[in-house]
Amino acid sequence: MNPSALASVLFWGLYVGCVYVSLAVGLNVIFGVMRVVNFAHGEVMVLGAYVTFWAWRLLGLNPYVAIPLSMLVVAALGVAIQRLCFRPISGSGKLNEIFISLGLATLLQNAMCRLWTDSPRRVVSPYEAQAVPLGAFNLRLDYIIGIGLTALTLSALHIFLKKTYVGLGLRATSQNREAAVLVGIDVERMEALSFGLGCSLAALSGSLLSLSPFSPYSGSIPAIKAFAVVILGGPGSVPGAVIAGLAMGMAEALGTYVLGGSWRDAVVFLLLTALLMVRPWGLRGEVEG
Amino acid sequence: MSDTSPRLRLIIPLLLAVPILVVPLLGDRYLINVLEITLVFAIYASAWNLFAYAGQASLGHATFLGVGAYASVLLSRSTALPPLVSILVGGFVSVVAGLLVGLACVRLRGWFLGIVTFGFSVLAEVIVSEPLSWLTHGRYGVWAPRLIPPEVPGYFVYEYYIVVSTATLALLVMHKIMKSSFGIALAAIREDEVAASAIGVPTTRYKLAALLISSFFSGVAGGLLAHVVWGGYVSPEVFGVHYSFNPVIYCVSGGLGTVEGPVVGAFLVTAVWEGLRFIGTYERLILVGAILILTVIFLPEGIFPTLRDHIYVKMKSPSS
Repeated sequence: MNPSALASVLFWGLYVGCVYVSLAVGLNVIFGVMRVVNFAHGEVMVLGAYVTFWAWRLLGLNPYVAIPLSMLVVAALGVAIQRLCFRPISGSGKLNEIFISLGLATLLQNAMCRLWTDSPRRVVSPYEAQAVPLGAFNLRLDYIIGIGLTALTLSALHIFLKKTYVGLGLRATSQNREAAVLVGIDVERMEALSFGLGCSLAALSGSLLSLSPFSPYSGSIPAIKAFAVVILGGPGSVPGAVIAGLAMGMAEALGTYVLGGSWRDAVVFLLLTALLMVRPWGLRGEVEG
Repeated sequence: MSDTSPRLRLIIPLLLAVPILVVPLLGDRYLINVLEITLVFAIYASAWNLFAYAGQASLGHATFLGVGAYASVLLSRSTALPPLVSILVGGFVSVVAGLLVGLACVRLRGWFLGIVTFGFSVLAEVIVSEPLSWLTHGRYGVWAPRLIPPEVPGYFVYEYYIVVSTATLALLVMHKIMKSSFGIALAAIREDEVAASAIGVPTTRYKLAALLISSFFSGVAGGLLAHVVWGGYVSPEVFGVHYSFNPVIYCVSGGLGTVEGPVVGAFLVTAVWEGLRFIGTYERLILVGAILILTVIFLPEGIFPTLRDHIYVKMKSPSS
């Protein structure tokens, strides 16, 4: 394997990793506050991809300008989903939450098929052919922007969670729900907010994915990988998700490069399964249902 | 759950038995096929339900459905083994798959169990379509003998009655298992795992055993699906998300953790599905998703237990 090829494989892995990171951080924000893992997260992500696509196609927006719009639209939808579907069954058990999110996944996926057909679509980036030379190899500009956007969004999230009053409320709810209620935090509002926030992060990764062909069915595999990232990095842990997500992107890129494209999805699950056989509680801390 | 009178318990099977036994006399191939699908999915959903009875929600049961189907198809293709036997062998091969999955995730619970089991079905799909493609013809799928050779006159009626009797037998066995002390132990694990282990239930071993039994019946259902419903054919699609989520939808809508629930759910959803053929597939899938969400929110017990309690109250107080 020549070093230049290896470097570009790893760079691609970094980009793919960013998609998983924002997906997994979104899942973690929701999990932290609501203790819910949303199985429809992948479909929410594809929805984000479609919003970006239509904003680019119909409004003629630069796709990178369309991303914040997409994040906002999907966040609003996330809040609506939380209020309509998850709040009524709050506290009635883990299995019910799984079933609701499975129903949502089926519903969203087929609604998108019905509205926009299942033929693959793709956003053509204005920077498609451009690359930034760095030493011996060229880095695709789109990948650099994607990595930069993810870093920027995560920094903004970090500041929001650590420095603002609402962010404090979110963290308090996630640490101890009862205590948060006692000090006067509106935990139901925090739950809706966390769901919206998580969905908007999914929309970001969906928008990044929309640069390659996607269809309403494209959500399940990345979402499942994001779940794997959550388990690896520790449920609810944002730094854990960042490290595990990047590592998974790299492992996947390397696995694809060495074993061939059809192994792309299997590599991840082989790693996860092997890990869970050795450490059923995940890499860090306890894996609790 | 068990306070229903024995007389009442017979209502559902009797209601179902009449059309099931009479329908093939009409000779309508389409209707026969629909009933076969429903019965095979009733076995599959009940198998899923058995594992869920211990509070364990698998989201990758298509692994076992597919392993059973492939094992049986490949066996009956390459040996002289009749499909009737190879389907049974397929069930046992599926148990081996269940053992592998179980060892990997028997300590996981809730969400994480769901994610990992789902991962296994993705893995199985890749393995069957790529590294094993010399054996399985990859995505093209494999042809195999039908359950009864089409040369036999009225073969589809024979096939139908074999499916009916297999389903009856499988459901009876699973019913017995759920009502045995082993089944009660599973329910105890579901309600409170720590308490169950405190009173001496070997929780890990019992959960693994439930998964193995469940994977056996899922494998048999897979064999029937390949040799009867699909007319002697199987492709990697059998490992798809669709087949992993189906039993969830049947069990939750029908009534999770009851013997009748998965059967009622399978009949109900198939009836809706086939009855609404005039609208598109996407619309019907949207409806299925909505049914799942609405039953969880408004009928959390499921349709069967809600109806049963309703009828039971009426029968107990006929004056009202």
